[in-house]
Amino acid sequence: MTQDPDAALMLAFQRGDAQAFRVLYERHARAMVAYCHRFVRDAGRAEELAQDVFVKLHRAAHRYSPSARFKTFLYRVATNHCLNELRRGEYAAREASPGAPEGDDAPDLDALPSPRASPQQELEATRLAGAVVKLLEGLPETQRAAFVLCRFEGLSYQEIAETLETSVSAVKSLVHRATVAAAGALAPFGPETAQELAP
Amino acid sequence: MTHPTDDLTALLDGALAPARRAEVEAHLRACGACRAERDRLHGALALLGALPPPPEPSPFFTTRLAARLAREPAPSAGVLARFLAWRWRLAVPVAGLAAAAAVAVLTVRHQRAEELALAADLDLMENYELVASLGDVETEEDAAVVASLDQLGRTGRTP
Repeated sequence: MTQDPDAALMLAFQRGDAQAFRVLYERHARAMVAYCHRFVRDAGRAEELAQDVFVKLHRAAHRYSPSARFKTFLYRVATNHCLNELRRGEYAAREASPGAPEGDDAPDLDALPSPRASPQQELEATRLAGAVVKLLEGLPETQRAAFVLCRFEGLSYQEIAETLETSVSAVKSLVHRATVAAAGALAPFGPETAQELAP
Repeated sequence: MTHPTDDLTALLDGALAPARRAEVEAHLRACGACRAERDRLHGALALLGALPPPPEPSPFFTTRLAARLAREPAPSAGVLARFLAWRWRLAVPVAGLAAAAAVAVLTVRHQRAEELALAADLDLMENYELVASLGDVETEEDAAVVASLDQLGRTGRTP
């Protein structure tokens, strides 16, 4: 089963083609950094986590067999790694710290809008990013992973189900509950915000 | 028909089966409350789509990864084989004949599950390899401890 070009690259790497691994990396590195960033909100740490994911792939390559889409496999490795990272104390402590700013008071400095945006747009984008950060932090971890995979990574419900090793109906429920929570968290922002900030 | 509230997100995501989608859309034509809820969810999705993109990898990302990969030892089949052997031996008392039957039925579905299990086991494998590289894991008790390493720090996990 090598119709998946990524799986074919992984098999080529198994056979000793180092260049195949580099191609895999080039195809997915950017998405992996972005995905990890959704969990840890720190550019440097997100890069380290994404590197860890590729190192894990490198180490496990000889055991890989292409029975599902490579993308699903990759996101499974990354999700496990990011959730393990979140379970470490430092993130829990930071989020629970009474003195720490939170929500829209603590915008994601790594995801600030382009300097070409107007000051009003920058302010609104920063507020929106802060509200989304607060939303994600408040979601149970499986809901959070399903939501990020769906809304930011563009995976289908079927792919998310394979990634999280659950059923499509469970994914449907997870994504729905998280989307309802998002609607509540983003209620202060009107449709004009989406229009103003749309790329 | 009851209000299909739980299907509204899937409707917006285009993830409903055609027959169910037709039912929900028919309901929406007659139910203002459900239309309002659909619009509320749609508004949230539009806002999420307007978020600034996450940061690009730094110029040094590739260099750092290449340096890490260069330090990686060649995979040790011996260590992995021992790992798998221990996993099997520990699993037998628990899984018994069910595991044996599962191994006998090599379907595509099973292969997929194995692949996903590999993704889940990567941390555990690395823990084992780390411990094995420091000294021998000679007893079943030691192996059981190693097999539980990935459970450390998993408190507070919610479904």
